[in-house]
Amino acid sequence: MTVEQSAAVLADLRRARRKQRVAAIHWVDALYQVYVTGIVSVVIIVLVSGWVGDGDVSAGALADVRDHGPAVMGLLVALAIFSGLRAGSRGGPLALEKPDVRHVLLSPVDRGVALRGPAWRQLRFLTAVGAAVGAVAGQLALRRLPGNPLEWLLVGAAFGVTVVGLGFGCALLASGLKLPGWAASLVGGLLLAWAAGDIVGSLPASPTSFVGALAIWPVHVDPLGAAGPVLAGVAVLVGMRFVDGTSLEAAERRTALVGQMRFAVTLQDLRTVLVLRRQLAQEKPRSRPWIPAIRRHPHWPVLHRGVRSVARWPISRIVRVVLMAVIAGLSLRGVWHGTTPLVILAGIAMWVAALDAAEPLGQEIDHPGRTDQFPIERGVVFVRHLPITLLVSIATGLLAAAVAAAPFGDGVGWGPALVTGVALGMLAACGAVVSVVQGAPDPVDTLSMVTPEIAGTRTVYRTAFPPALAVAGTLPLIAARASVRGIQDPPPVPAAVNVTMVLTGVAVLVGGWVRFRDDIHGFMAEAAENMSPTKAAERMAEERRGEEEREADVLAESRRIAGLDDDGEDQGAGAAKRPPSRQARAKKPTAPSTPGVRGGTSAKPIGRRRDQK
Amino acid sequence: MSDAPALHVEGLTKAYDDLIALHPLDLEVPAGQSVALIGHNGSGKSTFLRMVAGLLDPSAGDVEIAGFDLTEVEARATTSYLPDDPVLYDDLSLREHADYVSRLHGGDGWDDYAESLCERLGLAERIDDLPARFSRGLRQKSAIVLALVRPFSLLLVDEPFVGLDLPGKEVLLELLDEVHGDGAATLVATHDPAYVDRVDRSLALRDGEVIFDGTASVEQVLHLVGG
Repeated sequence: MTVEQSAAVLADLRRARRKQRVAAIHWVDALYQVYVTGIVSVVIIVLVSGWVGDGDVSAGALADVRDHGPAVMGLLVALAIFSGLRAGSRGGPLALEKPDVRHVLLSPVDRGVALRGPAWRQLRFLTAVGAAVGAVAGQLALRRLPGNPLEWLLVGAAFGVTVVGLGFGCALLASGLKLPGWAASLVGGLLLAWAAGDIVGSLPASPTSFVGALAIWPVHVDPLGAAGPVLAGVAVLVGMRFVDGTSLEAAERRTALVGQMRFAVTLQDLRTVLVLRRQLAQEKPRSRPWIPAIRRHPHWPVLHRGVRSVARWPISRIVRVVLMAVIAGLSLRGVWHGTTPLVILAGIAMWVAALDAAEPLGQEIDHPGRTDQFPIERGVVFVRHLPITLLVSIATGLLAAAVAAAPFGDGVGWGPALVTGVALGMLAACGAVVSVVQGAPDPVDTLSMVTPEIAGTRTVYRTAFPPALAVAGTLPLIAARASVRGIQDPPPVPAAVNVTMVLTGVAVLVGGWVRFRDDIHGFMAEAAENMSPTKAAERMAEERRGEEEREADVLAESRRIAGLDDDGEDQGAGAAKRPPSRQARAKKPTAPSTPGVRGGTSAKPIGRRRDQK
Repeated sequence: MSDAPALHVEGLTKAYDDLIALHPLDLEVPAGQSVALIGHNGSGKSTFLRMVAGLLDPSAGDVEIAGFDLTEVEARATTSYLPDDPVLYDDLSLREHADYVSRLHGGDGWDDYAESLCERLGLAERIDDLPARFSRGLRQKSAIVLALVRPFSLLLVDEPFVGLDLPGKEVLLELLDEVHGDGAATLVATHDPAYVDRVDRSLALRDGEVIFDGTASVEQVLHLVGG
């Protein structure tokens, strides 16, 4: 089949499928989603923009931006290339549909034609996202750096598109050439190390720094910055040229996992997303642990189980956690020097690392059948998992602190850095634990029946609260900085310690929530059920019946005292109308209460345990 | 290329880290031969078929189909693969599926043969329905239609009877016989020992290695795979 014929058949297919899809779209729902997305985007941009209000940077800091800005932004470029190469070596970046793999790619049509269409569509979407994120970042930079808004908007968007183009092009190339995972990691890792070395000043200028020069054009125009978009364009074109070499095995595996992951994202099921992402990255625990198991019987089996889990971390997970710690540490340096919004980056990086630290607890949540068989309450088992999560997360926090206080450039003081590292690790662990334990929202939830605006707010709260906890872990550093600036009295370290004490209280509350979450949910579910109109009607009917029974008993007693016989026509009619006595009803045989799952009636939650009603 | 075997495999191997799913396998299937691939779960039958279909990357070895390397378009044009898990678009009807698959292979689209296949498999009333709403058995029958509606000279079939009712199973057996009669080579992986009576050759696998290659009776098969 010629390329033209292949293209014609595929175009016909797309047309037929689009027709079916358009017919199936619920337009009101679609418009409503656009409306909610728009509102949320505007709120986020306004909030973040308002937050970056720390004033213009000093002349020295501006010189630093000129000198080191390209290298720092180059690190971002190197990260995109590294991620692209890694994704490509695993069959990315395309996420095809499984039927496309089976029917289209196994047919004698030109694979290049079949794959370039989805690739261009995916690139179009990613480019739009990159441009939007870059433009917003440019506007945020404008708050502290000189330049005019239009320049920052355009340069930010151009840099965003360049980063996306380089990452996507490298991914296509790695996928098309079937680059082995180790080779992708090696090439990407070397580039990343070179970019990092360039920032520190121990290595000559990395090629990514030239690309990064574009990002600071409003401050300092370096013509070499124009090379970035050109390189990105070349990378995309070369990637498209080789896309037909994509492995069907990798494409099919990726297809299935990406589909499940998208579904998990729509359910806000972060734990499932994490597990699927690991499968996508083929990240498996080591069959041979880093440290051997202790031979004697452990005293604390849950803690011991957690240690065994951590001892089997694959190298990729260790690298990711260290990388997150480095990002958090560098962000803390930025916060210390006045760029307060970097607390968000520091918090999120630590939260991502803590999600790995919470893996033993996550495994327990993933296997509720097993946990329920233990002769211990679920909450108790979960609480016993917290020490290992805390330990690993605090160790990561201390690593971030070491990066923040490292003696290069103008670092944070060791005292505030270490205190902040502990607090940040502790709160990041709390955030990760909340993320893992809260799981996906209940499919049947009374609060989900409220208006979409309220339900949406709740969704945002569920999503934002865990990373916000981690971000709160940077407060000791803010307190110490305020002390250094003379805004408050105590010296930096005591100021940081004071805030850490308060944050420890928050951690204790999170521990309590983990321990008693089932009880709290049971109590709230019962309260909600008692407030339901159906339940209220049932209660009123019961009270009315009780009242009628009491009246009937009083009447019967009066007749007995009056010496009236109960026999007779009236009595018979009365007996027919009168409800059975309480004792008679009490004797009525009822089905024994059995534990387990109940469901099926519209008034009762489906799938909820009887003992949790 | 007319003298070339339908399938020629040399040193075909599949390994997942330290687990070897298929040990180096040499095999030649002449044009028009029907072969039954038998073995336990995990013996390597599906792995072998998926590698020949091009869905799995071999760890080592070469595959030639009708004299063409597996990576060539001609090899894809020659091979039809009927998987054990029907893979269908959610947004195309059965007629649109068949039309599309036929055209992808250079055919004219929906035709009398496609219609007759649907009738024989009991799908005549569901031709314009979306397979997303079909039961497991109906989806399997739809997959059979799609595997046969296009031209091929090598048919790879993986566990074809899963989910089929008795009439469906009988029709499929008839169709496989017809395909064989028309000169196509068939390679059918199955747990059903009775199927070996209908084929020219049987190939038994255990733990990724060939333990028998020849003409086998049902009793021999049961003995070989421990059934």
